[in-house]
Amino acid sequence: MTSAFPPPSSLESRISQLLADPVYDGHPLRQALEDLWETHRDLDRRLDRIARVSDAFQSMARERELGLQERMERDLRRLEKLARISDRYQSMMRDLNVALTEASTHDSLTRLPNRRLLTDRLKAEAERADRYDRSFTVVMIDIDHFKRINDACGHDVGDSVLIELAHAMGAELRDQDCAGRWGGEEFVLLLPETPLDAAVQVVERVRDRLNRVRVPYPHPTGSVTASAGLAEHIPGTPVTATLTRADTALLTAKRNGRDRIERAGADTPADLAVPFPSEA
Amino acid sequence: MQSFETTGTQSTPTIRANWEEGTLFMEGDSYPENSYEQFRPVFDWIEAFLNTAGRPLLLDLHLLYLNTSSIKAMMDIFDRLESAHAAGQAVSVRWSYDRRNERVGELAEEFREDCSFPFAIEPSA
Repeated sequence: MTSAFPPPSSLESRISQLLADPVYDGHPLRQALEDLWETHRDLDRRLDRIARVSDAFQSMARERELGLQERMERDLRRLEKLARISDRYQSMMRDLNVALTEASTHDSLTRLPNRRLLTDRLKAEAERADRYDRSFTVVMIDIDHFKRINDACGHDVGDSVLIELAHAMGAELRDQDCAGRWGGEEFVLLLPETPLDAAVQVVERVRDRLNRVRVPYPHPTGSVTASAGLAEHIPGTPVTATLTRADTALLTAKRNGRDRIERAGADTPADLAVPFPSEA
Repeated sequence: MQSFETTGTQSTPTIRANWEEGTLFMEGDSYPENSYEQFRPVFDWIEAFLNTAGRPLLLDLHLLYLNTSSIKAMMDIFDRLESAHAAGQAVSVRWSYDRRNERVGELAEEFREDCSFPFAIEPSA
């Protein structure tokens, strides 16, 4: 870059000519013009320098800006990658949590709620029933002579029959009902808002459905029967007492020849008021 | 620089840096309270190895869960390996994961995305 404002060449050459012409030697204006001309050229050179320095600064700032922008974009990409990986780790942990919760509350074979979850549900239902003065019925169901399936067909068949029985039971229940595996071949049904008489009908439907599950040869009968004990919750009593009454009724059903239901009376025999029935 | 070893806890990985073999082994979960404290010796060791050993470096990883600051630390480590690789040094990563947890392998792939040095992701039985 040369001068910012180059003087018209005609003016420049005219002044050069005038200053060089000996005719004007000694003229008072000649010295003044020469001084003015020198000052002008000096200013011009300085302007030129300022422009160059300024340009250099500008391009430096621009380069720095580009560098910063590049760095920012790179950092942004890294941050996005970090967030993406972190999100995926978190969702992995969340899914693992769900799986663990499922595993700790459900029976791994039948996928039904396990004893722990059933206990929670029973307690919650008892609190609700006591608060709103509603009734619900607890049912203990045991598959009769289940050991014969394992003995005749092996444990693998026994397991798959158990899974089928669990499905059959679920199919016969209403949305609000809850069926769980209490242990072995013993199941518990929680029937909310259901007095004893209505519960009997539900359980008879369930028993009928269970009876239609096919058990393969060489099982002697090809099907199973179930015994059930029913107990309607008595408001104000602990739900463990209700469970105990259902369990006692189930024992009675077994003693009376199996393949039947028994209803628990309203009284809780003192000798049966154990915290929770055994898993037998 | 020496070899060093830190035994893992529930929230920190086991780390074994072997100067003779040129291997850095990390195994387990990493969600330390202070990830700077945990990774500082690792960074320093890698830096020293790359600057002075003149031998190939292998990162042998068996990491499971990483919290965000540990992810950042691993990205920094891989960046350092990338620049060493660009400078012609022999560096490699082998990330092993449990076959039953496919998602850990997928996450290792995310890490590998910007790496041009050898980076193997291997399911183990």
